Amino acid sequence: MNRTAAVAGLLAAVAGFGTGFLVDFTALGLRFRLPLSPTRGAPRRAGAPAAERHLRRLASALGRPDGVGATALGATTAQKRYTERLKTGGNVRMTRSISRRAALAGLGLAAASAGCLGRTENIAGRDPPEQLTLEINATPADADPNGIRIARQLEEHLTAVGIDVRLNTVGQTDLWRKVLINQNFDLYVGQFVETEPFDPDALYGLTHSRFVAESGWQNPFGLTEMAVDDLLERQRRAAGRDRDDAVDALQETVCELQPFSVVAFPDALTAVQESRFDGWTEDRQPLSVTGLLELDDVAADGSGGGGSATNASAGGVETTTDAAAADATGDALRLVTTDDRITENWNPIAAEYRNHGTFTGLLYDPLVRADGDEFFPWLATGWERVDETTLDVTLREAWWHDGEPVTASDVAFTYAFLRDTSLGNVETPVPTPRFRGRSSVVEGARARDESTVRLTVADVNETVAARALRVPILPEHVWSERTGAATIAGFEFDFETTEAIVSNNPDPVGSGPLRFVEATAGESVAFERNPDHFLVRSTPEDDADASGETADPRAGVPSRYHGKPAFDRLRIEVLPSDISAVESVAEGLADATVSNLGPESVPRIGRSADARLVSGRSAAFYHVGYNVRRSPLSNPRFRAVIARLIDKTAIVDGAFDGYARAATSPLAASSADVPESVAWADGSDPVHPFFDDGGSLDVAAAREALREIGYRFDGEGRLLSRGR
Amino acid sequence: MTPFLSVLTSVVAWVVAMLVVASVAVIGPARLRETWSGLRDRLWDARRAVAVVCAVLIASAVGRPPLLDVSRLFGLQATAFIYGLEGGFVAWVQATFATPALTAYFSWVYVYGYAFLLAFPPVAYLALPRTTTFSRVLVAYALNYGIGLVLYTAVFAHGPRNVMPDMVTPLLFTTQPDVMALTSEVNVNSNVFPSLHTSLSVTVGTFAVLTHEEYPRWTPVAVPLSLSVVVATMYLGIHWLTDVVAGFALAFGSVALAYRLVEPRSDPGVPRDGPEDDQPPSEPNASD
Repeated sequence: MNRTAAVAGLLAAVAGFGTGFLVDFTALGLRFRLPLSPTRGAPRRAGAPAAERHLRRLASALGRPDGVGATALGATTAQKRYTERLKTGGNVRMTRSISRRAALAGLGLAAASAGCLGRTENIAGRDPPEQLTLEINATPADADPNGIRIARQLEEHLTAVGIDVRLNTVGQTDLWRKVLINQNFDLYVGQFVETEPFDPDALYGLTHSRFVAESGWQNPFGLTEMAVDDLLERQRRAAGRDRDDAVDALQETVCELQPFSVVAFPDALTAVQESRFDGWTEDRQPLSVTGLLELDDVAADGSGGGGSATNASAGGVETTTDAAAADATGDALRLVTTDDRITENWNPIAAEYRNHGTFTGLLYDPLVRADGDEFFPWLATGWERVDETTLDVTLREAWWHDGEPVTASDVAFTYAFLRDTSLGNVETPVPTPRFRGRSSVVEGARARDESTVRLTVADVNETVAARALRVPILPEHVWSERTGAATIAGFEFDFETTEAIVSNNPDPVGSGPLRFVEATAGESVAFERNPDHFLVRSTPEDDADASGETADPRAGVPSRYHGKPAFDRLRIEVLPSDISAVESVAEGLADATVSNLGPESVPRIGRSADARLVSGRSAAFYHVGYNVRRSPLSNPRFRAVIARLIDKTAIVDGAFDGYARAATSPLAASSADVPESVAWADGSDPVHPFFDDGGSLDVAAAREALREIGYRFDGEGRLLSRGR
Repeated sequence: MTPFLSVLTSVVAWVVAMLVVASVAVIGPARLRETWSGLRDRLWDARRAVAVVCAVLIASAVGRPPLLDVSRLFGLQATAFIYGLEGGFVAWVQATFATPALTAYFSWVYVYGYAFLLAFPPVAYLALPRTTTFSRVLVAYALNYGIGLVLYTAVFAHGPRNVMPDMVTPLLFTTQPDVMALTSEVNVNSNVFPSLHTSLSVTVGTFAVLTHEEYPRWTPVAVPLSLSVVVATMYLGIHWLTDVVAGFALAFGSVALAYRLVEPRSDPGVPRDGPEDDQPPSEPNASD
C-alpha cells in the first residue's frame, strides 16, 4: 500500500502536476483536492490508487487526442481538463494572489468551461471563515443596574479585539430560562444564588460534570472536566486539612479553567427607613432570611410574642382586608423591589423565578439553618450521624400552613422528590433545577416514625452532610399531586418536565415563619406571620421554667430568632426602577429596598433625612458565565483570554461605585481559605490579569494572546472562526 | 399610590391650563361659542371615528398586559440588533447636548408638553365647521395606537437607558422620579419600538401643517413642540434613534391612511347639494 502511494506520488511529480491533484470519488459524488506529496498522512494513501487510475485514464485519453467514435466528447473533455491542470499548476502563485471574491465572481464562467469545474468546487466547497459572533445576555438596567454595566464593558472589549458582539437584554425570568433551562446562550452576566457565605461544596452543583444533561443551577456551563470532578468528590469525603487542600486545589483548577469568570462580590446595598424596624445586619446581606428574622420592631414594647396575629390563625380561608391600608398602620414591614417574580410565583424549586430564594426561604423551613459558619437546627431538633452513610434526623413539632402536621414522611418525600420530581412517573428522572448539589448527597430517605427520618448519605464529611439538610422541606400532600408530566391544556409535551417544576405554586403551603396572604401579579404580594410557627409558639413566660428544656418548642434555635419575625405582615411592592425604590423609602412609603441599587440611586439615600444606606457584603458574586458546550467557548484557553478582557477594577469603581470587591475565586467571600495563587491582590487578578494599558484595554496584547493560542484575524482585524 | 396621583394631578392641571390658553389664542372665542352650540351634532357626525378611537384605547388598555407576555415569549428579540445598528448615538446626544436647562425643558416636554400636544388637536378640529379633520385626527390616533400595539407585541426590545446605563443617564427619572410612577402605569420598559411619543407627536405636527389655513397660529406652536418631543425621547435616554425613525414612518403612514379612510364630505349644516357629495350626508365615510 505504501509503495503504491509512493509510486503514485512519483508519477504525479514526473507528470508535472504540481502540488495539487484532482481525484474523482465518483461514489461520493464529491471531488477533493489531493496533494500528492509523499510525506503527508493517511488520506493520501487511501486516495492514491484512485489517483493512479485517474492518471492512466488521462494518459490514454491523451494518447488519442481526437478520440475515436462515440468517445470523442469524453476525450476532449479530458484533454481540456489536462491542459487546464497544466495551466493552474504553472500559475499557482498567480491564482493565490487573486482575492477570494474575484475568484467567486468568476465562478459562473469557470463552471461553464467544464474543464476546471472540479477545482472551482474545491474552492467554493470550502466555507469561508467568518467573524466570530458572541451573544452576551444580561438583564436591563431597570432590573439590575450592575450586571448590564459588566456586560457593556465586556461588549466593548470583545468588540475591540475583533469579535462581533450581540448585547441582548432580557427580563430576569427569561435570562434564567435561557441560561439555566434551555442552555441556549453564549455568555451571560448574572449573580450567584447564595447571598450568605457558602461552603465550598456549593461548587459541586455548579461545576460537576454528572449534571451536564440536567437543566437548572446544576452545571449550567456544561463543564466536563475530570480534574474538577475528582476534586469535588475529594472535598466531599475529606475532612480537616485534607479537605482544605482539596478545596485549595479545586479553586485553582476552577479559576484556571474559567467555566465562569468571577467579577466581583457586591456589597448588598439597601435603603432603609429606621423609624419602624431596626437591627439591619451590617456585615452580610441585610435582606436575607436570617436578616429579616433578626429585625426588631422599634415601637414594640415587648409584645413580640405574637398576640396580635391570633385573629388570622383560622387557617385555610384568609380574610381579605384592604392590605395597603392595613400595612400603613399595622406592624407591617413594607419592602420595595424591581423584581416582580415574587408576585406571581412562589415555587421554591423554580430556578428561573428565584433570585436568592429569600422569601420562599421564609415560607418553607429547612431542617437546618446556617448563619455564617454557625449551623443550628430549625425544623429538626437535632441530627445524628449513626454511621458513615446513615444520618438520623429528629423533627420539631410543626404544622403546615394548612394545619396538617409536619411529619417524617414529608421529609423523606422531599429528598426523594428533589432527586426526581416525577417520583418515577416520567421515564427519566426529572431532578429539581435548584438544590441539586445538596440533594445529590442524600441517596435515600425513610421515615422511622412520625418524627424521625433516616437519611442514607454518601460518604461525605460533616459539613457537607449538614449542608444537605438545608433544603426546603415540602408537604407531601401538596407536591405528590404535581409529579405528573407537565401538560398544557391537557396535552402532554415532551419537555421532560413535571408539573412540580412548572407550577407557580399558588397559595404556597409551607411550614415557615411567614405564610402567603395575597398577591397581585406584577404589583405586590403580602405575607403574614405564621402564628403557629415554633418561633412564636413559645410556652408562656411564667411556666417556661416549669416545663423545662424538652418542652421548649424552640430548643436549639438561637435566642435572637425567638418570637420573630418582628412584623405581623410583610408586604412587597414592585416599582419600576431602583431610583423609584429609593425614593419610596426616602418618602417613608416603604421600609427597605430589596433589589440591587445602582450608582445613580445610592446618593439619593443621603438626601433624605429618614433613610439610611445599609450595606453588607454579599456572597452572591457577579460572574460572566460561558456556555462551555459551544465552540470556541469550549476552549479553556479562549475563555482565559476573555477573562483577561474583564477589567474588574474598573467595574468595581465604575459600575458599583466602589460598593463591591473584585475577586478571582468564587469562594472569596466564604470562610474557606483562598490560596494565595487565586487571591485578588494589588488590584490585579493573579490568574487571568486584565490586559491593562494604563487603565484601558491593551488591544494589541489581547490579539497577540489570541493568536498565540491559535486564532486568526483577517485584514480588518476581525477574529475569524469556522463552523458556527 | 401617592406619587402616581400627585403626578397625574399636576399633568391634568398643566394640560387644562394650556388647553384654555391655546383655545382662546388659536381657536378664538367666537368659534368656541359656535362649537359649544353645535357640539352634539358634530360629535354625532364623527361618531364612527370617536367609536374607533375609544375601541382602540380600550383594547390597548385591556390587551397590553397579556400581549406583553406574548411579546416577551414570542416577540422578536431586537435589543441587540438595534444596539448593533446605531450603537451609542443616544449616548452621543446626551454627552453632546445635555445641560440642566435642556434636561428640565425636555423632561417637561416629554410629560406635559406631550399630553397637551395630544389633547389640543381634537378640541381644535372639533371647532371647525366640518368634522372631516376631526375624524381624521381621531382615526390617525387610533391607527398609531393600534399599529403601535401590534409592533410592541411583535418586537421585544429595551431602550438605551436600560442597555447602556454607563453612558446613557435616565435623565427623566433621575430629575423627576415621580414621573416614573406615571410612565410605568401607562407603559413598560420593553415597549420601545416604535416610539409612540414620536409617532403621535409627529402626527399632530403633520396635521398642524396640513391645517395651516384653518389654524395659522397652531402650526408654529405644534411643529416645534412635536419636534421637541421627538428629541426628548432620545435626549432622555428612553428611545433609540431606530424607534424614532420608525415613529416617523408610523406617523406619516397613519396620517396618509386617515386621509384615505375619511374622505371630505359636505358640511352637516348644508343640505345635500355639495358638489362632491355622492353619498347620504348622515353617513360619514369612516369606513373602508
